[in-house]
Amino acid sequence: MKGLSLFILTGIIFVLLQSSVLPLLFSPNWRPNLILILVLYLGLSEELSRALIVGLLLGAIQDSFCSSSLGLYVSVYTVIVLLTRLLSEQLNIESPPLLLLLIAGGTLVQNLLVGLYLTILADGSPVLFILLPAIPQQLLTNMIFATILLSLFLRIKRLFGYRPGLAGLFYQSKHHGN
Amino acid sequence: MRELLRRYRFFWLAIILLLATVILYSYNLRQKTATTFFERAVLTFAAPFQTSIDGIADNLTDIWGNYLWLVDTRQRNLELEQENRQLHSQLAQVEEASLQNERLRKLLAFVDELDRPALPAQVIGEDASNWARTIVIDKGIQNGLQNGLPVVAAQGVVGRIIKIGPASSRVLLVTDASSAIAALIQRTRTRGVARGRGADLSIDYALRDADVQVGDLLVTSGMGGIFPKGLPLGLIESVEKDQFGLFQQVKASPTIDFSLLEEVMVIVGEDR
Repeated sequence: MKGLSLFILTGIIFVLLQSSVLPLLFSPNWRPNLILILVLYLGLSEELSRALIVGLLLGAIQDSFCSSSLGLYVSVYTVIVLLTRLLSEQLNIESPPLLLLLIAGGTLVQNLLVGLYLTILADGSPVLFILLPAIPQQLLTNMIFATILLSLFLRIKRLFGYRPGLAGLFYQSKHHGN
Repeated sequence: MRELLRRYRFFWLAIILLLATVILYSYNLRQKTATTFFERAVLTFAAPFQTSIDGIADNLTDIWGNYLWLVDTRQRNLELEQENRQLHSQLAQVEEASLQNERLRKLLAFVDELDRPALPAQVIGEDASNWARTIVIDKGIQNGLQNGLPVVAAQGVVGRIIKIGPASSRVLLVTDASSAIAALIQRTRTRGVARGRGADLSIDYALRDADVQVGDLLVTSGMGGIFPKGLPLGLIESVEKDQFGLFQQVKASPTIDFSLLEEVMVIVGEDR
């Protein structure tokens, strides 16, 4: 329960940063999606049912801070959590470059799904004119911010006496293997 | 007589000298501005000495004041630094207030021209996604707002309220992909629908034969009942005509720089 609350709290902080602070520093195309990074980390570190619950809640939080109707990001993040779990069992996610590749993959999947939902379900076809040109910047900015957040996270982990390195990322979960 | 002169020699000398000085003084009083030879000589002779002495005295005073007599200097320095910071902060606040005042004045002038009741609001947030173009304002149901109300700035149309909370509202910007506003070219009255494309607007359904030029002003047509007629939307950026087709492809850049938007007006009523 404590872990879940921590994820939600981090999600709220991230979404507030995304809607209030980052717009002052970056144009929309260069604004990172911190929630996506959190969801990907969630998919790697928590057991499936917990990851899905938190993913749904994080999606709902992001939906309420966007113009989209409630459900868009809920659905997108559910798919991303499921895909992350599926991939994490096949790949060596302890490798930092691979983790960054996962962030890049997550960014692509998120853009694809948002575009698909908005085009097919919401008749928002012009959104593709906004989404598609922004993908390269999104990839770059998400990977840079993921690197910064990851190094910060590892530093904090070391500060609290956990073993350093990325090895702890997946295996630190008490519930891993369920 | 000679004996008398000799006896009172000193007395006579004193009287003569006194008279001479009085006469000299009296003479000089009449010619105040003229410098005598004596005065000039004294000034010339004394000047270098005075300069040197003054310089030395200044140096000594400086050394004493700057290096020796430093009681309370550090404390004074800290106080001055603190005062300097406070003054800088106050100056920044005054400049900020002055700029805000200027922006609000323009906004009020714009709303006065519009002749409709309007409520001022501050922009307090943006969209948490990179593809949607919305802002959050600090007024909501408690201030009498409701969904669908148009939002404007001094430069033109901002958008309309799409979600509303007790003390805040989300405004869909005209540049959002889901925004479509009935518009017309001010110069030729050519009609079209202004759709958001993220950074700019595309004007759909502008007939192929219609006269549309780069630089034309795009305004709201008033159709649809949300936005009053004649509000600036954008400036025509490009016009392209395909070989075939009923319509021409027109793009416009919004009149508002949304990244710099801080204050807006929500139009809350009908024409006065």
